Amino acid sequence: MNTQLEALPETAVLQLPPETVKLRIGNVNFFYGQKQSLFDVTVSFAENAVTALIGPSGCGKSTLLRTLNRMYSLYPGQKATGEVILDGENMLSPRVDVAALRARVGMVFQKPTPFPMSIYDNVAYGVRLYEKLSKSEMADRVEESLRRAALWDEVKDKLKESGLGLSGGQQQRLCVARGIAVKPEVLLLDEPASALDPISTARLEETIAELKRDYTIVIVTHNMGQAARLSDHTGFMYLGRLVEFGETEQIFTNPVTSRCRDYITGRFG
Amino acid sequence: MDHTLKAVDTDLGGMTHGIAAMGDLAVSQVRASLDAFLGHDLDLAAKVVRGDDALDIQDHEIEKAAVRFIALRQPMADDLRRPIAAMKISMQLERCGDLGKNIAKRVIRMDAATDVEVAGPIAELGRLSADRLAAVVNAFRNGDAPAAYAVWLKDTEIDERHEQVLAGIVASLDERKSASQTAGDWAHLLFIAKNLERIGDHATNIAELVHYQITGRELEGRPKL
Repeated sequence: MNTQLEALPETAVLQLPPETVKLRIGNVNFFYGQKQSLFDVTVSFAENAVTALIGPSGCGKSTLLRTLNRMYSLYPGQKATGEVILDGENMLSPRVDVAALRARVGMVFQKPTPFPMSIYDNVAYGVRLYEKLSKSEMADRVEESLRRAALWDEVKDKLKESGLGLSGGQQQRLCVARGIAVKPEVLLLDEPASALDPISTARLEETIAELKRDYTIVIVTHNMGQAARLSDHTGFMYLGRLVEFGETEQIFTNPVTSRCRDYITGRFG
Repeated sequence: MDHTLKAVDTDLGGMTHGIAAMGDLAVSQVRASLDAFLGHDLDLAAKVVRGDDALDIQDHEIEKAAVRFIALRQPMADDLRRPIAAMKISMQLERCGDLGKNIAKRVIRMDAATDVEVAGPIAELGRLSADRLAAVVNAFRNGDAPAAYAVWLKDTEIDERHEQVLAGIVASLDERKSASQTAGDWAHLLFIAKNLERIGDHATNIAELVHYQITGRELEGRPKL
């Protein structure tokens, strides 16, 4: 048995069994104008699982998330190369309709972004863009979405009131309800709890844990405890590269790269 | 690399220092119990018995420090292994102290000094166990996984020596070799030998914990006699 401390590898990326993969990205590079901010990122996201992306500010984790539903294409000069394969189809291909992609890959942002309309319409708005539902079908969809976002009991008696009147934590769960109302396959969460108090955070985390039964979830978080609590897989990024990716338990108990270990133990330079 | 939050390094350093100090004390207790046995030194034996309280207190302090570290620093990865290993190692050291105390108590209850011919092999077994314990305490202090592994590999040597000592005691009994030893003393000798062998086992357990703490990997397939 070798007991010497072996030289740690520079990078370590776990390959997931193909049958478990919902979304796979291959050799993704990303450019803000001339500046490259992702370098050859290749990783898979498992179906019905939560994958957390961690790393210091500016490491590219939010950029990677924005690549997955081409959110970047709203901004001129931003460009991604490589592949984002969702169920066998490259989402970066110009042939893919961006609106249809975003219906399949929903996103919740760092700050709650409710529309200035009623709670009901906040949830129904996106659905109306993609589907023609009867009034009662829509009411069912809104209720189902709010229930799954663990918000229904708190808002069922005030669905006509403005979404802006809710607390921060409720607004964020409203955004989750809005995101899942269009029945996406993948849910992207960019620091969804960073503006929430601990109780709202716990509720949102419980919501995410419930949602993973039906969705593939990718969450960017600065909160290491949150990544450890919530996710099945964790990816650590640094300077635009994926340094380590593996089972969350392994990453937080025995990371194999020194960069990842230094980051999660708070020894970062 | 140091932690960005310096208090984490301070806490970890404190825990390491506490265990190393406890380890040194456990080793000296075991050695003193051996000396008391060899010289039938009742004063020294009484001192060993009294000295065990300090190990119990240190064990308790280390456990408190480890729990506090987990609660306040919320460690991950190798940092998390530190308090876990600390609690387990200090428990092993506390047991070694108990065994040393038990030897000392037996010395006090024995009727006479043991004949050199019988005591010699027991003392050798004891030195071997105490040396192993000292080596693994040093491996811990220095964060030296290969040194811990070396201790772990040699576990069977102590077991073999223990078997020899037992065989020797039984042979001596058969031959009624030693006239000065009472039946009670022979029983004490058997237990003293067993206690020394157990100290060797604890040294091996600590070696596993030190190795785990440093590498994150468990040593499997302990060599067996």
